[in-house]
Amino acid sequence: MAGAPNWLHVDTAEEAPPPHLTTLTSCMALSDVQCDGYVRLLAADISLDNAAEEPTATLKVFRGLKLKHEQPLPGIPAAIESLYIDETEPKTPVIAVAIAESVLFYRHLKPYFKYTIPAQDSEDLELEVWRKLPVVKPSAHPALLDSLKTIDHSKLSRKSQRLLQMGEQEREHFIATHKDSPVGRVGNIVAMCCIKRISSDANPPSHLVLATDTGHIMILEPQGFNLVYQGKACDDETAVPSLISVQGTFETDFCIVVATRNGGVYLLRKSQSEGQEIFKLGIPLTGLLLLPIDQTIIASTMDNRYLCYSKRGKLLYQVPMSDLPVCLLPLPLTHLGLTLVAIALRGGVVKFYLQRYLVDEFVLEETVDAMLYGRMGMEDHVLTLVTQSGGIVVKILRRVSRFEPKAGDLANKRALGDNKSIVDASILDKPKKSSIFVEQAAREKQQAKSTYGSFQVELWRLRHTAARATIDAINSSESTISGDLTHAPVKLSAEVCGSGPAFRLYLTVQNLSTFKMASNLVVLLHADRRHYTIPQTLARLPSVLPGVPLRVDFEVVAVLDPMDKLPPASLTPDNSLIRVMLMKAGQAKPLIAAAISMPQSEAAF
Amino acid sequence: MGMLHNLADLIKIKKDKMTILVLGLNNSGKSSIINHFKKSSEQTSIVVPTVGFMVEQFYIGMSGVSIKAIDMSGATRYRNLWEHQFKNCHGIIYVIDSSDRMRFVVVKDELDLVLQHPDLCNRIVPILFYGNKMDMEDSLSSVKIAAALRLENIKDKPWHICSSSAISGEGLGEGVQWLIQQMRFAMLNNKNAAKSRSKHSK
Repeated sequence: MAGAPNWLHVDTAEEAPPPHLTTLTSCMALSDVQCDGYVRLLAADISLDNAAEEPTATLKVFRGLKLKHEQPLPGIPAAIESLYIDETEPKTPVIAVAIAESVLFYRHLKPYFKYTIPAQDSEDLELEVWRKLPVVKPSAHPALLDSLKTIDHSKLSRKSQRLLQMGEQEREHFIATHKDSPVGRVGNIVAMCCIKRISSDANPPSHLVLATDTGHIMILEPQGFNLVYQGKACDDETAVPSLISVQGTFETDFCIVVATRNGGVYLLRKSQSEGQEIFKLGIPLTGLLLLPIDQTIIASTMDNRYLCYSKRGKLLYQVPMSDLPVCLLPLPLTHLGLTLVAIALRGGVVKFYLQRYLVDEFVLEETVDAMLYGRMGMEDHVLTLVTQSGGIVVKILRRVSRFEPKAGDLANKRALGDNKSIVDASILDKPKKSSIFVEQAAREKQQAKSTYGSFQVELWRLRHTAARATIDAINSSESTISGDLTHAPVKLSAEVCGSGPAFRLYLTVQNLSTFKMASNLVVLLHADRRHYTIPQTLARLPSVLPGVPLRVDFEVVAVLDPMDKLPPASLTPDNSLIRVMLMKAGQAKPLIAAAISMPQSEAAF
Repeated sequence: MGMLHNLADLIKIKKDKMTILVLGLNNSGKSSIINHFKKSSEQTSIVVPTVGFMVEQFYIGMSGVSIKAIDMSGATRYRNLWEHQFKNCHGIIYVIDSSDRMRFVVVKDELDLVLQHPDLCNRIVPILFYGNKMDMEDSLSSVKIAAALRLENIKDKPWHICSSSAISGEGLGEGVQWLIQQMRFAMLNNKNAAKSRSKHSK
């Protein structure tokens, strides 16, 4: 395994009595039962030690790894779930324990409701036999029991099944005791899981999905205890559900995948209550998952294989296991955007797969019987494993963990292709990424900053050019700064001295460029002849160096009326202008065009 | 003359502000510890989980030091933000929940990541460890915490660990006095090193 391990091992040696559990994955849950933000581990400890008595189970609550609470359970549970049933604050989780035909609900670890699934219709013959048994003589009982045996054993009620197993001495007392019990077949809950009612991030209310050994699938609304969905996995009576997996939300859409003991896998949807067979294997399954993102069905089988099917029953890939897969668990790593599949093999190996690729593994001392992943205590991403001898192992995911396929896995994939027991010619075993693509992706990742910077520079240069061109178009005739890109930028300013009628006009031409010389410049003065006389209107300028302003002066004489020595009456402040144009020699378009307002001229005396 | 020089340096440093980075896992008591050092008028009665980070200012009257404390969030998704503050800090307070044994392995892992960061591994930064929640029933002593986290392996940085209770304030003053003293020594050493470098360049 390259690099540091992804999982931190929590040392349990210091716990005074070491924590001990005999349980299954379905009988474990994580719940904030005290509403203090500390998520506790709940598990059913199943005791099989006393061979004389029946097995017993205890609901144990751990704070961290320290046992804090024990609650005897009235039977062996099939599943334990923690769910929220309403939106009231503070949100209190409810613990649901499925035992035989009932679901026990605990709130604050105190029992508060018991729900029993509805009974099936009973056989007429069974009703007739139980009506006769208490009233006829004991010598007639064997004949009645023989007729009872003609009914399928699985269709009999529980008391009929027990009566048939009894010896002759116990029958009369049993019949006298249970003659008034109802005759009816009640299914046993064999699997249970949660489905969220709506999609929400913060503890949404959930419904319970129940699967019974009669093949019925029910969804229980735990607030009013109503059955809001009923379906049947398949019509085959011998197909008993054993595993179940649900994805989706009840209000929107959901899928339920059911695996039966004879190897069939069936799919139920919200819109159809009859199970649709997806695929059928000749061997029993040890694990079943419906993955959320790619909506594929993951199965582990007793012939040491790990299979992936689409919802239409097409085999996508299969991975041979080195030993029997005992436990299958999804690991939704939402902070990494991945969903891994953890597989515990017999012997203590735990492997983590991302689709078909092995991305991580570790080895424990003995076989792992149960696994649980989620937020535990105050830490997210905690994996709890229970071994065959009852030891609890806790692994915490590192913050800097990395899950990537092993280096040799891609090469081994082709080598293992010859050993496939199922022919899947429809799956092309092509490389996931070409070398050019990988190199280009790596190069883009490494030089992301320079690539982005270069793009930004080009973008700003383009904007600058466009803005400059816009300014040129607008200000080509009226500006104090020339905008001609082919010429050095030139600035023009003017100053008028004198009180009239003779004025002295000073022009200052300045080169704004830092390196370019402004040459071949011509200044043209234009004025109304009725108001102003300019002896020299055209002047050729020498070259203007950068940073050295050039000063040119012109004589302007105001025109006066010969009679009264005053400016003409047509001269107003609006038209007392002299237009100055700075041009390049040989061009008609001016670089700069400016208008100078002349002051009022005094009369000549 | 040398003694007077050092005395002047100490007096000058006394007026400097010090920046402390407060790290630790979520729910270990970082914000409660900072809350205890603040002025009575600024203290809050309810401490909520920190989101991102908070910057707090308080004054240690006994030492005459103005402290700027950067209170980082310890939630898993916010621990990535710690490393952006390593350049600016003069000292680190690392708060450990001494009653949360299950997460000691996480405390050690995050501490190793902090110590190996390039912004810190070449600098002398004192680290003060608070074994917080010492009043809890199943809390560990500071000696056991140091053994569990293998603090004796920290060679290049001065470190100190003491048990504390953010609710009663026990153990907090002693720890922060040690940290202020160590930060002064570290800043003095950095200043002398800078002087040596400038003298050498001439």
